[in-house]
Amino acid sequence: MMSGLIHLLNSHGLTEDTIIKATFYGIAGLTVLFAFFVVIARNIFHSALSLAVVLIGVACAYLYLDTEFLATVQVLVYVGAIMTLFIFTIMLTADVHKKMSLKINPRVLLSAYAAALILIILIKIINAGPWLPEVKDAVPLDLAQLGRSLMTNYGLPFEVISLLSLAALVGAIVIGKTEKK
Amino acid sequence: MIPQNHFLILSAILFAIGIFGVLTRKNAIGILMSIELILNAANINLITFNKFQKTPDGLGQIFALFVIAIAAVSAVIGLALVISIYRNAKTILVTKINLMKW
Repeated sequence: MMSGLIHLLNSHGLTEDTIIKATFYGIAGLTVLFAFFVVIARNIFHSALSLAVVLIGVACAYLYLDTEFLATVQVLVYVGAIMTLFIFTIMLTADVHKKMSLKINPRVLLSAYAAALILIILIKIINAGPWLPEVKDAVPLDLAQLGRSLMTNYGLPFEVISLLSLAALVGAIVIGKTEKK
Repeated sequence: MIPQNHFLILSAILFAIGIFGVLTRKNAIGILMSIELILNAANINLITFNKFQKTPDGLGQIFALFVIAIAAVSAVIGLALVISIYRNAKTILVTKINLMKW
């Protein structure tokens, strides 16, 4: 089906490369737009919803980098679990209808300058630095290889992560429960 | 093909927006969300280098997996703390929480 679609688009003078580029820059622009909305939205609930869009956009960027597994994990863990947690916490704590005003005060301006400065420096470094030559014909790692190296070479960090998750589970219950009177 | 630099610039923009959010948000949940943005920017970098440079055994992907796991853990603990603070201080605005200020 996919090849048929590509053939159809080719007959209209669109190459696969053009389509890949157009969709990538579209998604990247949307991601940045919603990321901006996350930090400037006046209603915290709206900013949580925009964060979900940003996370899906980042998952799409992973697809362009040939890491389908991580894109799946990103959607499952971030959009499925973490966003639900965020939204539950917002419901439990903040008054959702209350708007928080983002006043343009010196502190916000200073933060904007700092962030812009960091961005400019990073982009200068990215464009200036002589990177190692890009590997053109790299075969993407398949899931079986990934799982194997996770279980052999990186087995110890994997176990440490499991322990950390367990500790966080217990810790969250202990922090979150109410004191017995 | 999309060049490596464009992925890195996307990640840099997300990182800068996240920094701006951490510095300006007064709501503790907003700060946590900005931290998630920063962690995502780091993940894009890791996976970009995993694709465009020679890395053994998909090291970048495994690193990114670990970052996602730690981000989940930090979100859980952070939100539990936020709920606990809200129960005690009745607010989650970080400018109003001055329990340890003298």
